[in-house]
Amino acid sequence: MSHKNPLHIPSPFQANEPDMTPEQKEQQYVHSVYQVIAPHFSATRYKPWPVVEEFLTTMPAGYIGADVGCGNGKYIGVNPNLFMVGSDRSSNLISICGERGHEAMVADGLALPYRSGFFDFAISIAVIHHFISPERRVAAIEEILRVVRVQGRVLIFVWALEQTGKRDFDKDVQDVFVPWAMPKKAEPKKEKSAKSRPQGVKKKDRKAVEAAAAASSSSSATEDQTLDQKEVISENMEKLTLQDTTTTTTNESSSSSATASTSMSDPTSSETADPAAPAAPVYNRYYHLFQKGELEELVSRTNKATIVQQGYDRDNWWCIVEKAQN
Amino acid sequence: MRLITHNMLQCHVKGCNANNFPLELQEVVLEQEEAELNEDFLRNMLGKIEYEALVATCLKLDINDLPAAMPADAAYNDEFLQILHRVILETHIKSGKMVCPNCQHIYAIRDGIPNMLLAEHEV
Repeated sequence: MSHKNPLHIPSPFQANEPDMTPEQKEQQYVHSVYQVIAPHFSATRYKPWPVVEEFLTTMPAGYIGADVGCGNGKYIGVNPNLFMVGSDRSSNLISICGERGHEAMVADGLALPYRSGFFDFAISIAVIHHFISPERRVAAIEEILRVVRVQGRVLIFVWALEQTGKRDFDKDVQDVFVPWAMPKKAEPKKEKSAKSRPQGVKKKDRKAVEAAAAASSSSSATEDQTLDQKEVISENMEKLTLQDTTTTTTNESSSSSATASTSMSDPTSSETADPAAPAAPVYNRYYHLFQKGELEELVSRTNKATIVQQGYDRDNWWCIVEKAQN
Repeated sequence: MRLITHNMLQCHVKGCNANNFPLELQEVVLEQEEAELNEDFLRNMLGKIEYEALVATCLKLDINDLPAAMPADAAYNDEFLQILHRVILETHIKSGKMVCPNCQHIYAIRDGIPNMLLAEHEV
């Protein structure tokens, strides 16, 4: 008998309101979500993927690289002979990155603040699949290529539609919501929560919940399948696009606010709740799942790079591209 | 944020394409933090760095160690590389702001982290 965690089941992407702009959709279904889940997300992200590790460790000493969408910066220190600068749209993830002593800044992947042609290489790991349209995905690749020098190489990873891991994706649906469940097992570390409360979510959307995040209790967030049981983070969590996991992931929490807050969880009961119970706060992230060949097709649309290597690893399509002369 | 990173940054407000580098540092709090010297990195940087902008930025911060022009033998000038290392890798900007000399856009630096996000109409 298989044990499919209901929190691993994605659903077709559907915007809360039909006339949302691409920017608004990414704001609500990507940026806002990462702001809130940042500490817990970060606790599950520390083991480098082998392809990325090899790409970085085979770079010549002294090379300067950009990690665009670096999250908590887990790749920045992989090769100490390189100098890497990380950027991410989430200020909460960048704070974690900065606390680790990495060069880090908050920046949008479609408008990088770097001089053109500066970097010897760049990486974009699990980022491009969060852009909502093919045009924006191409623009994101173009922007990375802009800041890399001619012959500089870029490693890109995106989530695959064809993945056969713990998630069952409908092979006909490429634009999906993937739930992220905050673990509910509370740890008595509340002294930290006030200090490290996520910043950057509009105040009017704030509705703090004492949903302490204990990385040990939830199997739903172990996308790396390498969750460190000891890494426990206690946070004063804020909610947005919050839903009861038993409901569908469409607009049941819709309201006039772009970041509707509806809680099905009772914070006071969180310490005793069963981790599999349906009251865990769940945040839906937007993903575009890539078909075989689709990433390469986007790269070729830029007309600015050639594909050096490509492959499939850990539920992702990846490729290494080299910036062309013109 | 190290001074080296400041030398990579330019204003990226839509349409702000000229005189958008270097961003002018204001109300800056600096901190020195020791780092291991990496000659490969420094030599690679020599070809990338906008040296004039770096010197001008440093002078405004009362950092007067760098020669006005990069020595011809910079790549193998140990004394110069050590000064460069100290200035661009060990000097951190903990807080302050960066102002675009062209469009006057202000980028804030807090806790050593610059916020380079733009408002929607600026992208």
